[in-house]
Amino acid sequence: MSSRDQIDEKLERLVGQVLREQPLQRAPTSLEARVLGELATRARLPWWRRGIATWPASVRIPVIAGCAVCVPLVWVLSLWLAERMVSVAAGPLTTLRDATHAATSFGTITGHIIQSIPREWLVGGLIATATLYASLFALIAVGYSLLYPRSQYAKAHLT
Amino acid sequence: MRAYQDMVFSTAVRLTANPAQAEDISQEVFLRAYQSFENLRTSPKAGGWLKTVATNLTLNHLTRHRKRWRLFSEIFSEDSREEEIESATAVFDTVLTELETGERSALVEQALGRLPDHQRIPLVLYHYEEMPYQDIADRLGISLAKVKTDILRGRVAMAGLLAESGVGATSDRPRLPTTTRGAQS
Repeated sequence: MSSRDQIDEKLERLVGQVLREQPLQRAPTSLEARVLGELATRARLPWWRRGIATWPASVRIPVIAGCAVCVPLVWVLSLWLAERMVSVAAGPLTTLRDATHAATSFGTITGHIIQSIPREWLVGGLIATATLYASLFALIAVGYSLLYPRSQYAKAHLT
Repeated sequence: MRAYQDMVFSTAVRLTANPAQAEDISQEVFLRAYQSFENLRTSPKAGGWLKTVATNLTLNHLTRHRKRWRLFSEIFSEDSREEEIESATAVFDTVLTELETGERSALVEQALGRLPDHQRIPLVLYHYEEMPYQDIADRLGISLAKVKTDILRGRVAMAGLLAESGVGATSDRPRLPTTTRGAQS
């Protein structure tokens, strides 16, 4: 045994001796009164609010028997409910599946159409759209600048 | 009840270091004992039964705060130095040989109560409840090595607290740690 083990062992022995020789700590004087008070409170409770082990046998046995019947009953009922839920949910699930399928098909067709158009046409189309949009914007701006102030001027002079 | 109430309360208060919690636990122990009153009244093992229930209920109570003291245990896990252990041995030697029973009792209980949970609980289980290291490790859900380290550090820290109270204070001894780490809130 190493010297470290020896001093560890000596410390353990001394601590053990010191602690074993400690007297018990005195419990608070209120403890007994608290326990008796709690027992009295529990004794005043009606039988149905106490533990089932303390219930009268005339009640306890039917309750246990009832529970024994209820457990398989609940099991069977939950299985039946699960089956019903699956069949009820089947309708909306089918519709959802069809809608997803249609959306996927539409996306595929659109992709094919876009791919079949030559790139030059696409670029030309984009340029034409942008030119038309700019022309329309310019036309509206010129029209507004020419017509709107005049109509305001005419309105002012008529009144 | 009067015959056992000090034993039950001591078991709980040494583990919790909290008299109010220990009183609550003691009350619960005696209420459970009342439920088994017919069996316990004539049984010679009533004291052992009460002690076991008190220990288990206290540990269950402490388990609720377990994460906190387990964390401290994981952080502060380094081993004690040899000179610290020698110094602690000298302090406990002095406690046994030089202090009168009344003074010793008060100082030891005070020092034990000031230890952090992760040191006090395994120390109490080992020395008071005489649980083997492995059982303590299983019960607290920590490793065997951790239990041994915590108990050793608990002994050293306890000696430090006793030294802080003036026990075995001599200038030529190596200085002991006088404050516990991860002290309980």
